[in-house]
Amino acid sequence: MRAAKALSVVVPVRDNAATLGKVLTAIRHSALKRENYELIVVDDSSDDASAIIAARHADTVVRLTGDGCGPAYARNRGIEIARGEIVAFVNPDVVVSPDTLPTMLSTLATRKDIAAVAASRDEPAGAQNFASQYWNLLVGFGEQRHPEICAHFESGCGAVRRSALVAAGMYDEWRFGRECLEGLELGQRLQRAGHRLLLLRDLRVVYLKRWSFATICREVWQRSALLTRSFGYQRTSVSVPGEVVITLSRALTPAIAVVGSASLAAAFVPPSFGLIRDVCVLALILLGNLPVHRFYARQKGLGFAIASAPMHVVIQSIAAVALCIGWLLRDTIGDRLPDATTQAFSEVGLEIWPPVPRRI
Amino acid sequence: MTPEALDDVVSASPWHDGGPGLSASRLAPGRSARVDEAEVTGPPLLWRRTPRVSLIVILPEGHEISQAELADRSPIPGDGQGDVIVACAGRPANLQALQRTVRDAQFLFTPAGTSAERLRELAIQRASGDIVTLVSGARLAPALSVQDERQSC
Repeated sequence: MRAAKALSVVVPVRDNAATLGKVLTAIRHSALKRENYELIVVDDSSDDASAIIAARHADTVVRLTGDGCGPAYARNRGIEIARGEIVAFVNPDVVVSPDTLPTMLSTLATRKDIAAVAASRDEPAGAQNFASQYWNLLVGFGEQRHPEICAHFESGCGAVRRSALVAAGMYDEWRFGRECLEGLELGQRLQRAGHRLLLLRDLRVVYLKRWSFATICREVWQRSALLTRSFGYQRTSVSVPGEVVITLSRALTPAIAVVGSASLAAAFVPPSFGLIRDVCVLALILLGNLPVHRFYARQKGLGFAIASAPMHVVIQSIAAVALCIGWLLRDTIGDRLPDATTQAFSEVGLEIWPPVPRRI
Repeated sequence: MTPEALDDVVSASPWHDGGPGLSASRLAPGRSARVDEAEVTGPPLLWRRTPRVSLIVILPEGHEISQAELADRSPIPGDGQGDVIVACAGRPANLQALQRTVRDAQFLFTPAGTSAERLRELAIQRASGDIVTLVSGARLAPALSVQDERQSC
């Protein structure tokens, strides 16, 4: 019979060979006795050497096969074999500092009213290119707006009591096949069950993921569409005001109002006033984004804030369109579901390994 | 849908690995999908109900694992669902005793001085398990290990 541990650290991995070694080394350099925690890496059907790199450091490597079912599914497989009373999740692109895990552990030990804690992202980002710095700051700006107790469990680096997690039904692997808002959904479920989630703003971790303009656009599109389709915009904006999509879309509201009014007025004004209208709209968008750009200027300088303004407007536009698409899909098709095969096998209750994604 | 068609669908499903296991086409009509694998005989099966478990014991030079600990951690012997790999740098002091403890264990011998990380890399490439547990041996206490070896012989 294997002994229980104080902490189980679960790292879901999919083709992360480039960063995984650094991430696992950082976990092993934590200021925790090695015998007090176990390190579980769940390899979600990687094509690269992730499993071999994981084996250098981990106590247990779970190897999933198939096409990959996403980090929510992979984390759940880790939770199932975890022996710790506390389960910490660290993404394969997140580098913890030596005090990250001990601080989360001690916070949960001393504050019995808290069920989960999460770390904030550090500045600057691990990747030095413009897009990575921009995205890191944008998410960081949102985290500063979160209340300390909020309904978002940051799965990138967070720890949760195993009992609360299991009672809440773990991650929703049924609807969240991609790495997108699964922590937000879990956080809302934990909160509905009466648990409190704490965001530790002073506890920082470094995100290594390298973003490009294209990957940011795709991420924003997916998050925005999913947010309105599966969560509801209004409810999320109240419970998780720091979510990136809320940050992006909130600033658009006055500009959209002006565009609507100006379009109505266009019938009564000469076409030459069109340019003035466009300038007004652009100015309003920039004005709405002022808090974000001021934050950028404080963190990276005025040059970075000015350079990021056009990119920010493009990404806001993508978010606005995706929010509308999400609404439309919700009203016409309904909430997101897995493919028909998965639904059929779940209905039958088939017991196989790797398991069919569970419905909560 | 016929059981054969069901097999095709499962093979194409995102979570299926195509490895050996339980097959839908082997289910009797009207039966539950939960089938005792002991009842199923014949050609290789498509699905598995439970994960295969592998245990990897890492014994860098100057390290050992006791027979008791190895026996305690080993997957159920003879169930065909697990394997044990002992990866050694050099020759472990209580090799014969370990071989007797887990008869089906594979021993992976590398030159003395091979690092623990390298042993782990080599061993996991040989492991067949879906869930692979890696255990490092304890640093060798010379007097105890010799005594242990004598007792086991």
